[in-house]
This record gives sequence, C-alpha cells and structure tokens, in this order.
Amino acid sequence: MGKVVGIDLGTTNSLVAFVQDGRPVVIRDDNNDPLVPSVVSLGDDGTIFVGREAQRRLLTVPGRTVYSVKRFMGRGIDDVKDEATLLPFSVSGDAGGVMRIGLGDRTFTPPEISAFILRELKYRAEEFFRAQGEFDFEVDRAVITVPAYFNDAQRTATRDAGRLAGLEVLRIINEPTAASLAYGLDQKNRGTIAVYDLGGGTFDISILKVEDGVFQVLATHGDTHLGGDDIDLLLVGDVLREIGGGGPKPMPHEAIQAIRKAVIQAKWDLSEHDAAEIVVAPSSALPGGYRKRLTRAEFEAAIDPLVQRTLEPCRQALADAGLKPGDVDEAVLVGGSTRVPLVRQRVEELFGRKPHSDLNPDEVVALGAAVQADILISGRREMLLLDVTPLSLGIETMGGVVSKIILRNSTIPASGREMFTTGVDNQTAVDVHVLQGERELAADCRSLARFKLRGIPPMPAGLPRIEVRFQIDANGILSVSAHELRTGIAQTIEVKPSYGLTDEEVERMLIESFEHAEADFEARLLIDARNEAESVIVATEKSLRRPDFAELAAAELKAGEREKIDAALGDLRRAMAGDDRAAIQEKTHALNHATQHLAEVVMNRTVRAALAGKTVDEVE
Amino acid sequence: MSRLDDYFTFLGLPRRLSIDMALLEQRFRELSRQYHPDYFYNAPPKERLASLEQSSHLNDAYRTLRNPVSRIEYLLGLEGLQLGGGEGGVPPSLLEEVFALNEELDEIRDAREAGTDPEGLRGRLAAARKPIEDKRDEHERDLQKLSAQWDAQQDRTTLDALRERMLERNYINNLLATIDRETANLEQRTTDNGSRITDNG
Repeated sequence: MGKVVGIDLGTTNSLVAFVQDGRPVVIRDDNNDPLVPSVVSLGDDGTIFVGREAQRRLLTVPGRTVYSVKRFMGRGIDDVKDEATLLPFSVSGDAGGVMRIGLGDRTFTPPEISAFILRELKYRAEEFFRAQGEFDFEVDRAVITVPAYFNDAQRTATRDAGRLAGLEVLRIINEPTAASLAYGLDQKNRGTIAVYDLGGGTFDISILKVEDGVFQVLATHGDTHLGGDDIDLLLVGDVLREIGGGGPKPMPHEAIQAIRKAVIQAKWDLSEHDAAEIVVAPSSALPGGYRKRLTRAEFEAAIDPLVQRTLEPCRQALADAGLKPGDVDEAVLVGGSTRVPLVRQRVEELFGRKPHSDLNPDEVVALGAAVQADILISGRREMLLLDVTPLSLGIETMGGVVSKIILRNSTIPASGREMFTTGVDNQTAVDVHVLQGERELAADCRSLARFKLRGIPPMPAGLPRIEVRFQIDANGILSVSAHELRTGIAQTIEVKPSYGLTDEEVERMLIESFEHAEADFEARLLIDARNEAESVIVATEKSLRRPDFAELAAAELKAGEREKIDAALGDLRRAMAGDDRAAIQEKTHALNHATQHLAEVVMNRTVRAALAGKTVDEVE
Repeated sequence: MSRLDDYFTFLGLPRRLSIDMALLEQRFRELSRQYHPDYFYNAPPKERLASLEQSSHLNDAYRTLRNPVSRIEYLLGLEGLQLGGGEGGVPPSLLEEVFALNEELDEIRDAREAGTDPEGLRGRLAAARKPIEDKRDEHERDLQKLSAQWDAQQDRTTLDALRERMLERNYINNLLATIDRETANLEQRTTDNGSRITDNG
C-alpha cells in the first residue's frame, strides 16, 4: 500500500499535507513554497504546465492557460456564460451539459484540468517521500477538500478529478470542517465554533459543536461563486474602464492578465498598508502602462458590498443551528481572503468577538484533510467529524414542484425514501428527476440527474408501489436504489448526470491521459530544471547581498570573479524566460561553476563565525 | 437489508415524548463512534455497507427525535397512526377560520391585481394572520399537554387526540404559508428594481 495524503484543491492555490508522528505537515517544494498555484497551461507541443510555471505563462500565453477552474467544476455552459468574457481561455459546451475549456486546439472538462493539478500535488508528495528515503513512496490515496456549499455535481466532479489523477479518493470533506479538525488538535475540547472560510472563489460558513472529540456540524451555508476572484474582477473592471474601456478594440488578454496581476499585488499590499499602488509595466499590449494610488479606505468602500454578501449566509447558518451570534464561543478564519482587514472587521462585528487566525489560513484546510486521511486509514477513534448536507434533496413532482426528501443540514450519511407508481396500465418505466436546492419549483433548483426506473412488472395503473431510496454518503454524494414492493423486483436505474461525466467518459479520459503522459513528463523535467535554477539564483543573490560582501570580495575573490558571476547570473535569467530545458540546465551549471569558489569562501566564514567564542569541548 | 430497530430503541431511549436531550446527544455521539463509515475503511465490503446503513439510520433517528414535532409524528407512525400525506379536507375545528381567511385572501388578491397600495394590503394580511397564529399557539400548548398525558398513561385516546391535533397543525401551517406567499407577492411588486428580499426570522 502506498502513501495517503490530504489535499486542498483550491481555486487559487492547492496544497498537499500528510501526518507525520501524529502531526499534520504541509509538503513544500525545494524553495520551501507550500502552494501550487491552481493554474494549468498547454504548451505548443502538448506539454502540460502546472503551478508557478503555468502562472508565468498566464502573462505570455493567456489563451492557452486556465486558472480558477474550480469555479467551473460541476457546472454547465449556461452557468458561466456571463463571466466568460473576461476569461483568457474559451469555454464551450452544449446547453444543459458538461462545459469544456478550450486551450489551443484541445478542449478539456474541468475535472481533467483539476486532475492535472492533483497529479502535480501527487508528484510533489512522492518526490518528498522519496527524498525522505521512503521505499514505498507512491501516493495512491487521498482525502480531497471541497467547499461545504458544493452541490452533488461539484463533489462528484472533484471525485472524478481524483480518479483521473490516479488517486483513490478516500473521502471528500468540507473545507471549513477540515479547518476545524486542524484547529481541534490544540484547542480546548468543547464549545461552539463558527468557521468563516473566504477563499479565492468560494465562501462557506459552518457552525460546529465540538464535544468529546466529536466535531458535529450543526449548519452550513455559503456561496460557491464568491471569493477573492470577485475582488480582483471588480478592481480589474475599474482599471479597464479608466484606461479606455468601451473603446472600439477589446483589451488584449495579455494586458488584462497584467492588470489582474497588478491589482492582486495592490490588494495584498493593502492588507499591510494604508495605501498601495497598482502598477502595470508598459508592454506591447498596453504601451502606456498604468499606475494608480489606491487607499485602503477607497479599496474597502469598493469591496464592502462583496463582504456584506458573506454576512447573510452567516446569519442563515446561525438561524438554522438555532443559535444567536452571541452563542458562538469562537470564530475561526480560513482562506486567503480573510487576510483583508475589512473582512476581519465584519466578522468581528457579526460575532461580537475577535476571530481566531492562529494557523496559516492558506494551510489549515490541507492540514485538516491530512488529519482526516489519517483517521480513515488508522481507524483511530479519538476524533470524529460529523458533517451535514448543505442543500435539500428532492424530486420533481406534478406541476414542476419539488418534493423534498432529505432536508439541508441533515447529518450525513443520510437517507430518504419516496414511493412512486405508474400513470398508465402496463407501464414498465418511470422517469424521476432529482434536484438539489431550497426553492419550491424544480426550475429554480439545481438539476442533479434524471433516472429511469425500468423493469416494473406490468400492472394496472397506480398499482405498482416502487420504493426509491436516496442515500447520501459521508462524502455528501448521492446514490439511488429502487425496488417494487409488491413483487420485490429490484429496478435498474440509468443515471444521466445533468452536469457530470458518465463512468464511460471518465474511463476514456483515463486512457487519454496515459497517451499524453510522455508530453507531461517533458513538462515535469522543464519544471524541475526551473526550480533547480531558481534555487541556485536565490543562493547566489543571498551571498552577493551579505553585509560583509565588499570586504570579502576584496580579501578573497580573484580579479574578474564577480563579473563572471554577474554574467552567468544574467545568462541564466535570460534562459529562464524561455522554455528550452537544455539551455536552462546548461546555464544553471555555468552559474554553479562560476560561484563555486564564492560558495566555499562564504561557507568557511560561516563556519568560523559559528565556532568563534566556543570552547573545543563544545565543538566536539 | 437488515431490519433496524425503531428510533427510540436504537438510541436506547424509552418510547416517550419527553426525552432527556442531554442523553440523546450523548447517545448520538457514542453510537456515531460505533457506526460511522470513517472507522470501516479497512473492513470487508459487507461491514462497510452495514456501517453506512446503521449510521444513516442513527442520523435519521437523531434528527427525528431531536425535534418535538417530528418526534410526535414518528411515535404516531410507530403506533400505527400515520398522518398520511393527503389533504383530508378542512378539519372541523378550523372551518370558521378557514372560511374567513379564504374570503379575505380573495379580496386582497383582487385588490392587488387592481393596483391597490401594497402598504394597506400588507396590514390586512398581517391582521388575517393573527387569528391563525393564535390557533397555532393554542395547538402548541395542546400538543405539549397531550404529550405529557401520553407519557403518563400511554393510552389510545391520547394518541388519537395527538393525531387529530397534528393534522390540524399541518393544516394551520399550510394556511400560514399561503399568507406568507401572498405577502411575498406584495413585496415583489414593491421591490421590482432588484433589491433582495430577506426574511428576518
């Protein structure tokens, strides 16, 4: 058996963690970076780039690069048409069916794109275990987190992505609940907790009761289309309007992405400072560049409506839990967007107490996923997570009205039954339309699937009594079974997921992914080469910035040595701008060679400094 | 599929309408620890399936018994007195109120369609709601009294009375929902420019 990990498959960034000696740990890359940007890019030769490399390509080849794919999981083309105009990649698909993302001349479904990210995380973890000297380093099972407010189609799409990445998905768990598990390790062991999770693309609020190590979710609410992305979009829109939006020519995507990068930087800066500058360097797409000062007050005035949109779900979740804001013992902040001071302020106002953010809001969900993965494989029973289904499940009845079978905020696993009969004599099949949502009319709810109950024994109309059983498992995913009560005959059910992939489609994609494995391997080598180059550059720059460098250079470096290092550094940086792996490796090697003597000198000085003032005994 | 015990038995609680909530919570946690699928990952498929069924049953039991109204409904079902889903017509004890309400609602609908000021209509709806709400409160008290009576006597007469009150109660809730829908119709007309309607409970 291979390794088991916990994965936070985020809108903006993804992370992988595992439990080591009873503690969850996030796995970092060689540069100590825990985040894999959730960005995927397709090279001209079919190579797939993921993470930082894909993020770089967003500025140069936006039409072949996709970000925030999580917002499209389990959704149809009709859902995303409105926001598609600002996206650099194209989206397509049949009305009422799975959407597809076009990159260059290929199209991918959102689960396929997500699978590329998962494969990258799997690889990162395997490299880590291999470096630790583990014999069995393969990662074959994972717990993957999703927003609590994800519906059945979105959860199923996430599970499909895991399968496509070659992972057995042990469990899909909710992000806020995962976060509470990570917090629960250290906190006092009882009380009522509100987890406020505002990420890159989604918002969740979960109210939990913790007692005797049982983490019981009382209620959850949220918005699967509200997050940091919306703040960015708002600011990008403002900039575009200012620099000649409404002009005859639409802004090229390269320019939009450069603006997006600049406003994100300004947003980050405004979490630390009272003012920031949005700076877009001049480029062919935007010859004049752009520069504007933004105060925190202006920023907050602009985003307050978005932040306000998170508060109503909080009140709703509290009401569903039968609680008032004052009943909450602790409020916990999760997700990168909770770094925005206005968000913290609004949460504090709502709950009347300062929210907790002791754990890194980017990492806490992955840590919790690792804890849950450990519980599943170890069978340890100290902690137990009891989650709920976020949305009511029902079926369409006469007149397009929804009859609810499992109510929202029911603890999962949960089940429900419904009786069906026939309307015509000798009818042998009945159509069932399953929906998720709180509204009364089927047209206002989310269509999950249409089932056909077949094999009903021929009988006069109204006589058959077909019991259909709906089962929501611990992943929050639905399955359906049926049998006719008079004859005991089990009915077969054909499932046509409304916005999901059929099992056959997943199988076919798996086969395709093997066919592309070679190109992906190339991409991997390029990324490794880049990372290697990056770490040599960082080490070199660190030496050059030493306070004692001038004195060191004068005393110990040969004439022209510094110039050689600078030249090698410049060469490597130029190589890094391209995609030529051989060139990057060659220049990395050259820089390594040029700095070899410098590295020795620095090392000697460090050792001497460390030894200074210590006795011989201490050294030995 | 294995037969599972009734909810009271499954949770180890007496078949009574007044239950010790702290005990219910404690049993729920204990049994969750026993049955939850999390602990059966390495178990054979048969045990995994059983765990899924048992923990679903537990969750359904907990949800049903936690709420006093669904608890009564469930007990009636156990005792062979299903409420049934169909509309059994207007309960005799409500005839007067239902008649008056329907008349008032018809008038309000007509007035709304004729474009009457929604503010005045809202007041009339609130006034029409009042006697129905009073009826509901009366029923709540009745249900509580009858519940205590069942716990003491466990007799058929009390059960029949409980069933009757429950049917009336469902009917009253439908009436209130009708009034709320009508109120929402008014709101929609006054907020046509798209501001969201939120119900402050």
